[in-house]
Amino acid sequence: MTTAELAPVSQHPVEPPISQPIEPPADRPILDPTKAAAFPAAVLPVLRNPQLRKNVAHAIDVIQAKRTRLVEEKTDWQELRSAASGIRDEALSHLGTYLEQFEERCTAAGGTVHWAGDAADARRIILDILREEKASEVIKIKTMTSAEIQLNPFLEAGGVGVFETDLAEIILQLGEGEPSHIVVPALHVNRSQVREIFARRMGLKDLSDDPKALTAAARNYLRRKFLEIPTAISGANFLVAETGSVVVVESEGNGRMCLTLPRTMISIAGIEKVVPRFRDLEVMLQVLARSATGERMNPYNSIWTGVTPGDGPQRFHVVLLDNGRSQILAGKTERQTLRCIRCAACMNACPVYRQTGGHAYGSVYPGPIGAILTPQLMQMHHAQSLPYASSLCGACYEVCPVKINIPEVLLELRSQVVHQERRQTLRFFDPMYLGLRIANLLFSRAWLFHAAQRLGRIGLGLFTRRDGWIHSLPSLGAKWTQTRDLRGLPEQTFHAWWAAREKEAK
Amino acid sequence: MRASLFITCYNDTLYPETGRAVVTLLERLGVEVDFSPRQTCCGQMHANTGFRGEAFSQAKRLVQMYQDTETVVIPSSSCVAMIRDQYPGLFEELGNEGLRRQFAALLPRVLELSEFLIDRLKVEDVGAYFPHRVTYHASCHGLRALHLGDRPYRLLNKVRGLDFVPLANLDRCCGFGGTFSVKNAEVSSAMMAVKLQDILQTGAEFCTALDNSCLMHLGGAMHRQYLGMKTIHMAEILAGAGPGATSNESMTQAEAVQ
Amino acid sequence: MSTSSESRQQILKRIYAATGSEADQPEQAAAQWSALPRGYIQAGSMSGEARIERMVERLREYDAEVSECEPEELAAAIAAQLKASGKRSIVAPAGLPPEWLAPGYDWKIDRDLQTEEIEKAEGVLTACFCAIADSGTIVLHHSASEGRRVITLLPDWHLCVLKASQVVETLPEYFARCQTPPALVTTISGPSATADIEMTRIKGVHGPRFMNVILVRDDRSKTRLN
Repeated sequence: MTTAELAPVSQHPVEPPISQPIEPPADRPILDPTKAAAFPAAVLPVLRNPQLRKNVAHAIDVIQAKRTRLVEEKTDWQELRSAASGIRDEALSHLGTYLEQFEERCTAAGGTVHWAGDAADARRIILDILREEKASEVIKIKTMTSAEIQLNPFLEAGGVGVFETDLAEIILQLGEGEPSHIVVPALHVNRSQVREIFARRMGLKDLSDDPKALTAAARNYLRRKFLEIPTAISGANFLVAETGSVVVVESEGNGRMCLTLPRTMISIAGIEKVVPRFRDLEVMLQVLARSATGERMNPYNSIWTGVTPGDGPQRFHVVLLDNGRSQILAGKTERQTLRCIRCAACMNACPVYRQTGGHAYGSVYPGPIGAILTPQLMQMHHAQSLPYASSLCGACYEVCPVKINIPEVLLELRSQVVHQERRQTLRFFDPMYLGLRIANLLFSRAWLFHAAQRLGRIGLGLFTRRDGWIHSLPSLGAKWTQTRDLRGLPEQTFHAWWAAREKEAK
Repeated sequence: MRASLFITCYNDTLYPETGRAVVTLLERLGVEVDFSPRQTCCGQMHANTGFRGEAFSQAKRLVQMYQDTETVVIPSSSCVAMIRDQYPGLFEELGNEGLRRQFAALLPRVLELSEFLIDRLKVEDVGAYFPHRVTYHASCHGLRALHLGDRPYRLLNKVRGLDFVPLANLDRCCGFGGTFSVKNAEVSSAMMAVKLQDILQTGAEFCTALDNSCLMHLGGAMHRQYLGMKTIHMAEILAGAGPGATSNESMTQAEAVQ
Repeated sequence: MSTSSESRQQILKRIYAATGSEADQPEQAAAQWSALPRGYIQAGSMSGEARIERMVERLREYDAEVSECEPEELAAAIAAQLKASGKRSIVAPAGLPPEWLAPGYDWKIDRDLQTEEIEKAEGVLTACFCAIADSGTIVLHHSASEGRRVITLLPDWHLCVLKASQVVETLPEYFARCQTPPALVTTISGPSATADIEMTRIKGVHGPRFMNVILVRDDRSKTRLN
């Protein structure tokens, strides 16, 4: 018997979503910020996909309801947020110290720590380890960090077969599809489609389309892989500096399989994943589970330290990834971006994400956190439309377990984008840029402002119909009038009314 | 009690009736209202779009203008939020200690309209009459930046003849977001459509709020779609003393632009 | 493209530049860590009996079968659970008390068992380190009586012995119980689950799908205090 209820996230961190129509699209979604379309254009196909929008909204509603219930139950929720935020800030303000401590302790426990300056470094380090191990296949626990560095295609090209082990990822990998949602990446694929994929790729002719049977088919399919492939790659939810331990948080159990059965384990983690001490997990684990999936605790947490003789992988590597993070660390307002624990609460709360899903962000990291993280990882050379992909409503800040003031960072990044772009010739005649420069001049003197109001009334008067409303405007105004009317400018401004009233009084 | 009205650039231009209503309301409550004709804009539009440098000069102007004012009342949550949340950072960055101190002294004297009524005047019943079914839309700035809480409800509760219907999904953004409404017009419209569904469900004749910005967006769509519903700033409800007093729609009929 | 040690130097250099410190500052870090705000609930407020009730309630929410016994009845309780299960081949960590190993079963004592052997076993019997009532969590530190991680992962049924004295109410209380941080931890809060197919929640993907917990009431004295 099945219950229609959203289950916990299959793994933290999780693969970002891409929207996708029910039929495979002619052009596939691109999660590469150097190639993806700007946000306003990227949303268009999604907005026209009712099925996907409905699925996203439904998924979000279920998680939000669960989260709300548990947050209300947790009477010390705000204190936990303060503590979580403090712990992450402390880790960041002494990041060098903690990373060195982590390295020392992990190494002492038999692990090997590698440092990767950028994505290419990380990919090369991992492939080199695999070559040394003579590994022709790897099993993977889903990790956003590996997607960030585009690891899978690189390994495949290097002759290593990559097997994802999260259920949604298998559905997508075997069906050659793309994830469409961060929490339930394959929610756009219905059961008969899954049946068709599994029957074909797993050779199971008599498979039914009951989700229980399909899950069992995946369980069996993966069983042999877990038992036979001796090399695994994971991410890390947290790195504990005090002990040199790695923490992985999950729901399906594939994580435990990957980090227990193989001979060699490679964990890749952004340098910001550090928490100072073991005890800090008492805060982080409480806020993570509730924020991400609305559970008091997700099914499995695994913590391990280097190598334990006789138990689990006997060769363990950690790859610490910078890839732009040390630069974000340097920014006074920007640094809080790195507090993120990849819970996805922000995107579950985001009214923009609710309409667009994740694909439109054109990045491994979507939603509010993606809007601030992605452009910064790109050193503001790409994804400049993302800081504007927000109405600044603040819902994300309200739910963020580590209190990242996402709107504050969005505003900072917007000013960086404008600073970058305003000198470009093409922006000089951009109506938005031109309009705002002129507006600033007009606001500097009341008489200029008033004159502009009069001119504006005359100008807009040309577009105002008998009913006193404007139904259509050109240029930038057209973006307003494509779905909304605008009431015509009243004959008398407030200040003119006041002046007249003053005059009358005298 | 004296209060200076900061009408805001967009209300001055697009919704003067809101300003007139604020004056009517405050004078009825015995407040002496003044208005500085030099005022223009608080700088929010520029700051929020990334034109930080431009916002500096506007912030300076505003602060200098209200040096000696007892209280500044603003019928717009987002402008108050700009002053409370962003001005501190701006003045810090400007590095002018004198200005920063001037601003710090002014800050506690800047109030949003419902804050002024409830916290300063300590009044809930403002003697209003508005015999219509009304729902209240909580703007994001009012909700999350100013934490207006139950102030709007306490005021609406005391309006004679008003039939209040609560709005579902109250904390969900309507999609206006300032320049977001044109930079990401399609998403803005999608969010607006969802919001309108909730508003229509209430069966209200009027959707009110403490921000004309949201109402311009929602009301514009209502008008486009012949939805048979109107938007109205809460100041106009509170100022209303007679049947069918003011509304955006009837304003237009009474003072047609053409 | 740099070698790892060059990268290490460059990355640390950038980090220390970004955080405004010349070099490693462990004392300052320690001081600031100690000053962090911790206003959240640390110790639980439930009575002993209420805590146990909450633990059992949460375990049952996860579809675990929970039975209670007095300390002197433990071996018999284990035997009863094994009998009821209908299973024969059971993995056991090498450090289990011998009286727990009820006769008549195919006990696979884990002294470096091959993975294939564990895979073929029908169940596993272990102790545990601690359990957290608030979230219904069983915590394993993989000691001699809890066993290697693989033995509580591959078999489909986990029979777990939990003493009432091991039950705490809150997560911070578990951390307080760790004198020194453990090297290996697995926390289990219900069976694995997924909702990846049409949002339908399916329990038991990887890892044991069934769990029975024997709750040993070592918290009750003969005169029933508390």
